[in-house]
Amino acid sequence: MSEITDTLETTAENPVSGIDQLAGDFKYDMTYDFDAGTGLNERTVDYISAVKKEAPWIREFRQSALKTFLSKPLPTHWASRDLETINFDKIRYYLSQGLKPKRTWDEVPADIKRTFERLGIPEQERKFLAGVEAQFDSEAAYSNIKEAVSKQGVIFVNSSEGLREHPEIFRKFFGKVIPTGDNKFSALNSAVFSGGSFIYVPPGIKVSHPLQAYFRINAENFGQFERTLIICDEGSELTYMEGCTAPKFSTATLHSAVVELVALRGAKIQYITVQNWSSNVFNLVTKRGLAHEESQIKWIDCNIGSRLTMKYPGVVLKGRKSRGEVISIALANDGQHQDTGAKMIHAADETTSTVVSKSISVGQGRATYRGIVHIPRQLKGCKNNTECDALLINTNSRTDTYPAITVRGDRHAVQHEASVSKVSADQIFYMQQRGLTEGQAMSLSVNGFINDLARQFPMEYSVELKRLIDLEMEGSVG
Amino acid sequence: MALATPAKPAVADAIGGFTPEVFARHLASLTASPAWWLERKRSAYSRFEPLPMPRRTDESWRFSNIAGITLGGFSPGAGGPDPRARQASEAFATALEATLSFLNGSLVGGNPLPAGLAAKGVVASTLSEAVAKHPGLLREHFMAQPQKLGSAKFAALHEAFIQDGAFIHVPRGVVVDRPIVIVHAVSGAGTAVFPHTLVVAEDNAKVTIVDHFVSNDATRQFACGANDLYAGHGARITYVAAQCWSKEALSLQFNSTVVRRDARVQSLNLHLGGKQARHESLSQLQAPGGFSEMLAITVADGARECDQRTLQIHQAPNTKSDLLYKNALLDQSRTIFSGLIIVDPDAQKTDAYQSNRNLMLSDDAESNSLPGLEIQANDVRCTHGATSSRIDPEQEFYLKSRGIPQKAADELLIFGFFEEVLNRLESEELHAALRKLIRAHLRR
Amino acid sequence: MPSLEIRNLHVSTGDKEIVKGVTLSVNAGEIHAVMGPNGTGKSTMAKAIAGHPDYTITGGDVLLDGKSILEMESDERARAGIFLAFQYPSEIPGVSIANFMRAAIQARMAEGEEIDASGFYKRLYKKMDLLKIDRSFTSRSVNEGFSGGEKKRTEILQMAMLEPRFALMDETDSGLDIDALRVVADGVNHLRGPSLGILLITHYQRLLGYIVPDFVHVMIDGCIVKSGDKSLALELESRGYDWVKKEFANA
Repeated sequence: MSEITDTLETTAENPVSGIDQLAGDFKYDMTYDFDAGTGLNERTVDYISAVKKEAPWIREFRQSALKTFLSKPLPTHWASRDLETINFDKIRYYLSQGLKPKRTWDEVPADIKRTFERLGIPEQERKFLAGVEAQFDSEAAYSNIKEAVSKQGVIFVNSSEGLREHPEIFRKFFGKVIPTGDNKFSALNSAVFSGGSFIYVPPGIKVSHPLQAYFRINAENFGQFERTLIICDEGSELTYMEGCTAPKFSTATLHSAVVELVALRGAKIQYITVQNWSSNVFNLVTKRGLAHEESQIKWIDCNIGSRLTMKYPGVVLKGRKSRGEVISIALANDGQHQDTGAKMIHAADETTSTVVSKSISVGQGRATYRGIVHIPRQLKGCKNNTECDALLINTNSRTDTYPAITVRGDRHAVQHEASVSKVSADQIFYMQQRGLTEGQAMSLSVNGFINDLARQFPMEYSVELKRLIDLEMEGSVG
Repeated sequence: MALATPAKPAVADAIGGFTPEVFARHLASLTASPAWWLERKRSAYSRFEPLPMPRRTDESWRFSNIAGITLGGFSPGAGGPDPRARQASEAFATALEATLSFLNGSLVGGNPLPAGLAAKGVVASTLSEAVAKHPGLLREHFMAQPQKLGSAKFAALHEAFIQDGAFIHVPRGVVVDRPIVIVHAVSGAGTAVFPHTLVVAEDNAKVTIVDHFVSNDATRQFACGANDLYAGHGARITYVAAQCWSKEALSLQFNSTVVRRDARVQSLNLHLGGKQARHESLSQLQAPGGFSEMLAITVADGARECDQRTLQIHQAPNTKSDLLYKNALLDQSRTIFSGLIIVDPDAQKTDAYQSNRNLMLSDDAESNSLPGLEIQANDVRCTHGATSSRIDPEQEFYLKSRGIPQKAADELLIFGFFEEVLNRLESEELHAALRKLIRAHLRR
Repeated sequence: MPSLEIRNLHVSTGDKEIVKGVTLSVNAGEIHAVMGPNGTGKSTMAKAIAGHPDYTITGGDVLLDGKSILEMESDERARAGIFLAFQYPSEIPGVSIANFMRAAIQARMAEGEEIDASGFYKRLYKKMDLLKIDRSFTSRSVNEGFSGGEKKRTEILQMAMLEPRFALMDETDSGLDIDALRVVADGVNHLRGPSLGILLITHYQRLLGYIVPDFVHVMIDGCIVKSGDKSLALELESRGYDWVKKEFANA
């Protein structure tokens, strides 16, 4: 703890003391209280760390991650070459509206409130706003833990606060579920992360309301690198929901988050994402959970929008009888590539994993499924079931499926099935004949295709999902 | 043994025993070959030499034991009379039209086609004869398709060093009822062979071909083989390959199948041999109505690695492909199945299926499945599936409770597992011959 | 009087002309049967009137209450009151009958107006009972895995729910055994009334034994070659189509 207090003392008065503000080419935009400028080097990382008044070990963690990021090539030997168009020197890696998360709605600056309003925050977001850790650009602009939740001993803070105030809880798992060097983008996040949610649920506590956070990118060329770590202690339960809507920008934007989940013995975590990035966003996210004995981790991931999304939520099934599940819905419209999937790493006996993926390709959209199921030697009684269904709507759309399944030993059952189908002109005509517009007919078909999955979403989310699909389909027909 | 001079290890790794000197000697031995053929071989060698060996990051070699793919210590074999070559063909001895037997790349025996078929213009000859007599057909069909599955280097090596092979040509409308059997045998440690079977079935022709690959001794050998199948409009080819190389052999085999309008090709590859055996199979459905049925059975045992890479490309509407690859894994064996279905944007009404089933019979065996799809047309029926599971313990118990010992029960269940594939063969004789080979292998 | 008027209608698919100048007027309250051998353009005419994209109207007009509908999209035509009972209804996986009907009815309501859910289900169940469709079907996907009879009954159910002004019934009897035929015919007869006009397309007379038409037309090679009352259907049943063909050829 002493190293943290040291840091706090030396930087308490001026968060950027000790930083040579003239060095480098930091552009100081007055709209933002703190701005790390464009481009990424050691100084950017030092700057972020200093602004956040971080302990030396975090700064070292960031610096070492930066080296890893710079040394790792882009994964274009298997991934889309579109990644090569990202200009890492033109991206802003840190912006902040001030460091202290706002505790009440009144404290939220008026211009931010206006932006929220203009975005049209969905009904259910308003309903839960009291409990929302809403991320506006890098820092949580609004944060208010529900009284009931904090009374239960649940910690729900942003990443800086989590590492600063509760290192004894979070340090143990931070960067452990997803090591810095897991991939180029997890390394990038580890170097420049800010914002995100750190949550700890004490043993036996079942959090009745889902915790929520909304992430938005609203500065042009500004990458958002939130970092989330959720630890559910033995026998506890949590549902976490994140939603993303981003306004349109003229140039590409990068979003690269890292989300780590830890379910200790008997715990249950459900992590729900419904996102709708604007179609110039690169959304390159690493999500993984560590499931201890008899615990359950379930990812529900719904991807709409973005230029390129690469996201393969995974579960490392470390404890006996643990369960992992990924439910994925992806909708790729014109100019969009949804490259999504799942990773199931079995590391204990009698572990079970399930993957259900449904993708929809519209117009020139492209949906790709990539999956890894790995059952190493000397385990017994592992099961995996994977289902991948793709729906193609127009003749120009494309779908790919690339699973990789490794099974060692004769005591497991693994099954992968995939199919491709389409919405036929006859189906659309049939529905039009009953008086539906082409867009409505399309939307009905698409909703029908994902219906069985959408049912697993909480009510308000499936309503929002349906609304998003309606909007996408309206624009997709001529 | 013609080992490479240990000057530059990097280069030696990339060409092994197949040095320019060895290649020059090989060319010099082909005194009777026409200039265009020698030129093709030179061009192939110049492609082979600079291409790198497979690398860990190559997607097309994912999960393969790349360290096991080395060219050092091998040199092209020399032919000679061999009694085993004839013996091997007896596995497919029933009701044949003709046989061709090769040892270490040279023709050592065989039975000619019946006069009736020869009179109709059917050709079952060596490639070297065809180079002289049918240069047009060879230019059009010999190694003419792209290498898309990762072995461009080894395909070039094959083309550069090929000594001889089989050439089957069935003219328009001619039906060859019984199989033509080709035996490719290898003997001697360090021997490299480049077996090749080229089958051209013209419009509405029908033919059945069997390739039987055998080792005469259990030494380390290198088989780098290829087969080209071309089915013209309405033609029908049944192709069966029984790969029974020695368990020390390194085997790389490249198949190309071209299916024209309304043609149908059924191929069944049985893999029993090789320490490391890789089989690449490319089916191109080039015109409406074409159908390619791709079947394979693998018995992976010992510490063998069986690596299968397939590609079904639908280039025209209303085409069909159906792939069923079944692997039984014993001991410390490994299998890799990597399959891809590509549906081109214009190939509407494609009906494509791909299935890989792994029967896990040992706790130390490892199966890897990569069943892939790339679909660019929207009006298609495309499905794939992969499973890895053990024998149903209930079934096993039931058999044992009737007094059947474990090994015999396993064998029964393995055959039960393979039956779905073998049943697809129309010919009872071929079905029986393959069963016999599998049984002999299991009881070895 | 409300009417559906087909005037010298020509329809092509691809380069081929299938309907070659049909003129036919259906008034509200009337049932017109269009009979004819297979491949004479009966179904093509129905689909073209409903606005199927595979068929091009190359000449003539279709008027609903005196106004041309040819510029309208197929869904607009449907909302204007034209219902096509399909010969081969599409299967729509994942979309339940209840949701499908709700969406279709909602599409007919004014902006901002919401469907009354309990009233909707009451009506739906009533019509289902009438057509002997099990109530569990509401949650089944539209036509998916349905038998031929179930599909046709579902078509009539939709017709009952959407209350069209003119129904084009395309080979509604095909694929039905005698019991199913009766149920479907009862359903249609129940809907029959002064506000509904029906164009009944059929190859066989047997349906007309249960749904008695006011007028019968014979269509051959894209043209209506003979019209009459229900007795014409019986004559066709006993004598076949050849004599009409001959008459047509000689004319």
